[in-house]
Amino acid sequence: MFSLFFENFRISIGSVFANKTRSILTALGIVIGVLSVTLMGTLISGLDRSFENSMSWLGKDILHISRYEWFSDMEWWEVKNRPRLRSEYVEKIRQRSKYALAVSPVMQRGASLAYKDKETQTEIFGTNEDYMETISTNIEQGRFFTETEDISGSRVTIIGHGIKEAFFEGDNPIGQYIKIDNVKFKVIGVLEKQGKFLGFFSVDKQAVLPLGAFNRIFSKRGWMRLSVKVPEDKVSEGLDEISGIMRQLRRLKPSEKSDFSINQTKAFESQYNTLKFAIGGTGFFITLLSLIVGGIGIMNIMFVTVKERTKEIGVRKAIGATNGMILSQFLMEAVTICLVAGLVGLMIAYISSIFINKIFPSTLPIGLSIFSIVMSIFVGVVSGFIPAYKASKLDPIDSLRYE
Amino acid sequence: MSLINLNDIYKIYNVGGEEVRALDGVDITINSNEYLAIMGPSGSGKSTMMNMIGCLDTPSSGIYMFEGEEVHIMDDAQLASIRNRKIGFVFQTFNLLPKASALQNVEIPLVYANIKKEKRIKMASKALKDVGLEDRMYHKPNELSGGQRQRVAIARALVNQPSIILADEPTGNLDSKSGHEIMGIFDDLHSQGNTIILVTHEDVIAQHAKRTIRLFDGKITDDTKRK
Ligand SMILES: Nc1ncnc2c1ncn2[C@@H]1O[C@H](COP(=O)(O)OP(=O)(O)OP(=O)(O)O)[C@@H](O)[C@H]1O
Ligand SMILES: [Mg+2]
Repeated sequence: MFSLFFENFRISIGSVFANKTRSILTALGIVIGVLSVTLMGTLISGLDRSFENSMSWLGKDILHISRYEWFSDMEWWEVKNRPRLRSEYVEKIRQRSKYALAVSPVMQRGASLAYKDKETQTEIFGTNEDYMETISTNIEQGRFFTETEDISGSRVTIIGHGIKEAFFEGDNPIGQYIKIDNVKFKVIGVLEKQGKFLGFFSVDKQAVLPLGAFNRIFSKRGWMRLSVKVPEDKVSEGLDEISGIMRQLRRLKPSEKSDFSINQTKAFESQYNTLKFAIGGTGFFITLLSLIVGGIGIMNIMFVTVKERTKEIGVRKAIGATNGMILSQFLMEAVTICLVAGLVGLMIAYISSIFINKIFPSTLPIGLSIFSIVMSIFVGVVSGFIPAYKASKLDPIDSLRYE
Repeated sequence: MSLINLNDIYKIYNVGGEEVRALDGVDITINSNEYLAIMGPSGSGKSTMMNMIGCLDTPSSGIYMFEGEEVHIMDDAQLASIRNRKIGFVFQTFNLLPKASALQNVEIPLVYANIKKEKRIKMASKALKDVGLEDRMYHKPNELSGGQRQRVAIARALVNQPSIILADEPTGNLDSKSGHEIMGIFDDLHSQGNTIILVTHEDVIAQHAKRTIRLFDGKITDDTKRK
């Protein structure tokens, strides 16, 4: 049986290449099907990767207390009417919570940074000595500030990797002075390189300063959030506890709604999953559609082929081909068209993924590549079967007489 | 034991409610190494009888024994197998596959017999050599003359060493010179011990055979043997 299989394959390749234009047109649906399924996979793999990075930056074990609830449809006045968060809460949460491992207030605002003749607009963060516990970034060089420096209002700052590159190039920034909105700060540390958050904006161009100095220089107005680190395996217990403490601090009655929100990276996750589902669904739909269209095209072309080669079928039967052999020959031909189309699609997808990777880090998943080829073969079998079956059932004498 | 035994064979077609008796009670016995010509006017049932003998067709009624096997009760797969192993067809219009070389055309029956590539090439080359085409093995049919094409077809019929070679008007599409050459090949094959049945309209062609039957309206009207 093996030599027949091989012979069929040879015949198929021959007839696919003999009718190039026709084969290409017919197979376009399969090419697009394979392209869409693999590129969708590539896109999702890239999103997954950048999402994972971003989530680890935000921290899965960090609770973010703020006036605004992430991804909610809260109106801006509703947010504005909620009382501000205050740095006094930090100490209270530390005293009352048994889950809180670190608590840091974070004030954020835009500012201009300058060193010698260089200047850049960026975000600055005013926080306390616990800050490093609530982010996943490490200190690359130098050190973070201490509690004493915070309380005393020392003008020290830890700069992002991007600032170091922009201002100091190869030089050592530690001990140098930079100006933040025209106030001199001494650089005592550099944060390691982070990359882009969700692939969009860079967090490497930030500067972190003690809240004490921040408040004295830049006023107390502004948005504050509190970041609370809890044990990774006690996130939901921590959430309940912190929520209770916050309600106590705000003196809310049990009937009253909370006037603050505790956000988690989970909120991003569900948002992200919705996005992923939308991309996956669209890709799946395009794939399905092009495979159906491609499959119908191949079935059609196979019917034409069988008709054109009726005489050949008669001859083959006269010299001893069984129905099964004729069936497998034409089935193989349909599968070969689909397989070649699938491989072409995969090749285009692979080349595209190399380019995509340069803009947006991602890889073509191997499992999905194999799946797309199996899928092409499957389409070939399904769409080739009826024409092949018809060919196999042709009467040898009628076929021989066919002109 | 006789090679072929047709016993009261009928082939009846229904065309628009009317019965057409393509074969109307045919009885004949053909032995090994016979050289038989079937003659008769157009529509008399010659091709129908050939197809029947060649196991391409099955009778409406009657008993057909081939080498002691009951062909009339065989299914498609059994018929295909017997055609592949025991029967070699030569057609009036050659019926070669246009995209395949002479060698590949001759190989096809061996592919269906599931013979390995090396052995196939050896056997097919030999068959082509036997019909005098050893220097045309890699030519496509459209690069060959009519007579050469028919010789490729004969090689294809011969290659699996069948019990019988059936040729339906093998010289019908050839000029008389090529036709003569083809008949020379059949004569040689017969003298080497092969069994040959051919259909022809021409007396000069039928002269090559050792036995001639005449068909008329699906019946055998004459059966003559010659020395
Ligand atoms: N599939 C068919 N359906 C109906 N009638 C058929 C069919 N095949 C053959 N016949 C009829 O059977 C009769 C014998 O046909 P056959 O082809 O055997 O003739 P023939 O002797 O080979 O003629 P020719 O010399 O023209 O080739 C004819 O009358 C033909 O019309
Ligand atoms: Mg005829």
